[in-house]
Amino acid sequence: MNEWERLQQAALSGRATRREFLRGAAALGITTALTSGIMVKAGYADEPKKGGTLRLGMEGGSPSDSLDPRTYADSVMIAASLAVMNCLVEFDTAGNPTGELFESWDVKPGAAEWVFNVRQGIKFSNGKTLDAEDCIYSIQIHRGETKSPAKGILEQIKEIKALSPTQVGITLSSGNADFPVILGDYHIVVVPKDFTDWQKPIGTGAYTLESFEPGVRLVFKNRGDYWKPGRGNFDTIELRNIQDVAARTAALQSGEVDAVNRLDARTVNLLMKDPNLNVVRTKGTGNRFCFVTRVTDKPYDNKDLRTALKYGIDREKIIESVYNGYAVPGNDHNLDALNPFYNTEMPQRKYDPDKAAFYFKKSGLGNVAMELQTSEGAWGSAVDCASLYQQALKKAGINLDVKKVSADGYWDNVWLKVPFCAVYWGRRMSADQAFTQVFGEASDWNDTNWKVPEFQKLIKDARVETDQAKRKELYWKAQEMIADDGGFICFAITDYLDGYSKKVMGNQPHARYDLNDNRIAEKGWFA
Amino acid sequence: MLRLILSRVALGLLTLLAVSVLIFVATEILPGDVASAVLGQGATPETLAVFRHELGLDRPAYIRYLEWLFNALRGDFGVALTNKRDIVTSISPKFDNTMFLAGYAALIAVPLAVGLGIVAAINDGKWIDRAANIVSLAAISFPEFFIAYVLILFLAVRSHLFPVLSTVFPDMSLGHRLYVVALPAVTLTMLVTAHMLRMTRSSVLSIMSQPYIEMAFLKGLKRSRVVFVHALPNAAAPIITVIALNLAYLIVGVVVIETVFVYPGIGQFMVDGVTKRDLPVVQACGLVFAGAFVILNTIADVLAILVNPRLRKAR
Repeated sequence: MNEWERLQQAALSGRATRREFLRGAAALGITTALTSGIMVKAGYADEPKKGGTLRLGMEGGSPSDSLDPRTYADSVMIAASLAVMNCLVEFDTAGNPTGELFESWDVKPGAAEWVFNVRQGIKFSNGKTLDAEDCIYSIQIHRGETKSPAKGILEQIKEIKALSPTQVGITLSSGNADFPVILGDYHIVVVPKDFTDWQKPIGTGAYTLESFEPGVRLVFKNRGDYWKPGRGNFDTIELRNIQDVAARTAALQSGEVDAVNRLDARTVNLLMKDPNLNVVRTKGTGNRFCFVTRVTDKPYDNKDLRTALKYGIDREKIIESVYNGYAVPGNDHNLDALNPFYNTEMPQRKYDPDKAAFYFKKSGLGNVAMELQTSEGAWGSAVDCASLYQQALKKAGINLDVKKVSADGYWDNVWLKVPFCAVYWGRRMSADQAFTQVFGEASDWNDTNWKVPEFQKLIKDARVETDQAKRKELYWKAQEMIADDGGFICFAITDYLDGYSKKVMGNQPHARYDLNDNRIAEKGWFA
Repeated sequence: MLRLILSRVALGLLTLLAVSVLIFVATEILPGDVASAVLGQGATPETLAVFRHELGLDRPAYIRYLEWLFNALRGDFGVALTNKRDIVTSISPKFDNTMFLAGYAALIAVPLAVGLGIVAAINDGKWIDRAANIVSLAAISFPEFFIAYVLILFLAVRSHLFPVLSTVFPDMSLGHRLYVVALPAVTLTMLVTAHMLRMTRSSVLSIMSQPYIEMAFLKGLKRSRVVFVHALPNAAAPIITVIALNLAYLIVGVVVIETVFVYPGIGQFMVDGVTKRDLPVVQACGLVFAGAFVILNTIADVLAILVNPRLRKAR
């Protein structure tokens, strides 16, 4: 029996899910014509169906929202822009960059010279055909005199030019093997060249914008013939901004919306019992919650003290009592288990008051005064987490003062200004981005100020390394160094919790964002 | 009489000016500015400087204030610093929504409160008086979001009588609007009824102990006639004042209700403006709120003069 026969049997006997079957068939190179017959027999013929109005209820919007990609900062506008526009690079479910409007790419050794092939035959909603100039314009609006949050990550571009109407050449000031990941940033969405009317965006997406009331509602209509097969299935998308989690949950329960993001971890267990709903959990890819010490300030320049502080936090207890179990413990660096370069062999650091007391004594600092600044402005439960930390340290005989400061202006006046404070970091799609932005010597956001030359060299070497095995070795070492020596106490990485009505299909977890990478409008369909 | 009204209006305008200065100073004192609030954690010194210059925040505060004031006098509140939308066009539908909800709640609450207050006063000490008191006090004692969630749970999620989301859109018919907004209107009614009811009851009762009411009773008039014709007109002034205060509360104090019911009113708009340090938005909202207060209070004053024969004639 060959592989294909084995796969068919697995499908027909119900041992393989639809997904596994499709993946297996794709790996074997079996054509759709052959697989579809098996799929009908196996009873998982959930081919995407067309039609219907998808009503989304989402947190992460405000009355000051705008469709200008240089202003995106939260879920509602990310989801809205992905309904109307496409990115240059998309991420698959596992988080690897795949072609979107850049269909494919080539890189020269050294990872500094890139050639991107523009997907052909794609039309904007105004009828224009996509070409290299549109892609270049859509990158350039984030460079130069701009307040775009993507400006920083694009600074590595030295030169960008159209090699032909279907090819874009990009030269970097120094090599970066993860450059396609950078281009997958959600701010970089593609509009026609010289486009500026952000009230009525023109894109290549599945939908066009019908109406937009910032902080209230966006309505999209399908524009037909979407270029991605099996996607863009709904007739209409209604995206409502519902900031209050109780209201969002109630709206889902009463059937007024079909899908919501950011369910409340404290009540989600009850929601899972509702027979009409699906709760989709993406484990441990959400925000990384941390307390950071600045290693150039006294007393945190003492490595033994930092080690004591890392052993003295009760990660499990915080996760249980604050996140109701919907988080995974952090391991004092900022990669999560879904990152391909996550160090799987590094032991998880656990709460150990004895070890904490030991290292604290070893530091020779005696009863040193330490003040941790925390605020609801850092994140909603930062104050609770800090109090639990304080109690856990007390058991190790370490006194920590916790100071609650104003939520207003927290990022402006406290973070990066005081030696010990609460901070959260979002997921970065590549290990390089994660390390360079949080621990890079040139980063404006290096809140631990930990700039060990050996580590800086390590991430620079890894950035230009195109041999994946060698990169892995470097990044594994980098994680060990951060956890061992850095000032970064990362205690929890939260789960994403989405709620769907049972009829919404295409709702699998995604490595980047919730609601299937905020693309449920494009990827979903009604059963 | 006319002079009295004119002086009231002039005082109101002065109040508005003072309020505009206060709001401006307050937003200046707050830590952080619009640039750092909008860019948040993603701010770098460079992007901050670009953004601040773009917004003109690098100019002195008094120049920005005067500039804003003169534009506002021409009816131009400028554009929001955050998303560059025209503030007047952003605010007016939200203000209409706020007025709709406030008006809806007031139409239920005011007759209910005044009616019950009078009934309670007529039946002073009887069971109906106590019941009205207990129920209205209980309603005002719960936090507003609690009442809101209880109503949502039983009337929307469990029984599907009303929608959870009270968002109104421009294309809705009046009937549909009234249905969709019923739950927040009822919640607000429960919040404001007690105050007005108790004021009606106590001012009617205090008039009832006056000698001329005793005279009316001695003439042999019925209790209801004494209350409506002799007591109520004299008790009206404080009742009107309390009603005006509660109406003002319905307009400016309902941001929690807006959040819970996802109602697109002006309160959330202002809160967002404050967190984003969007000064023109905060100024405009503050002015609208202050205006609502001043206008309602002026109307209350004028009405109190009109209904009271002794105040109507200038001495």
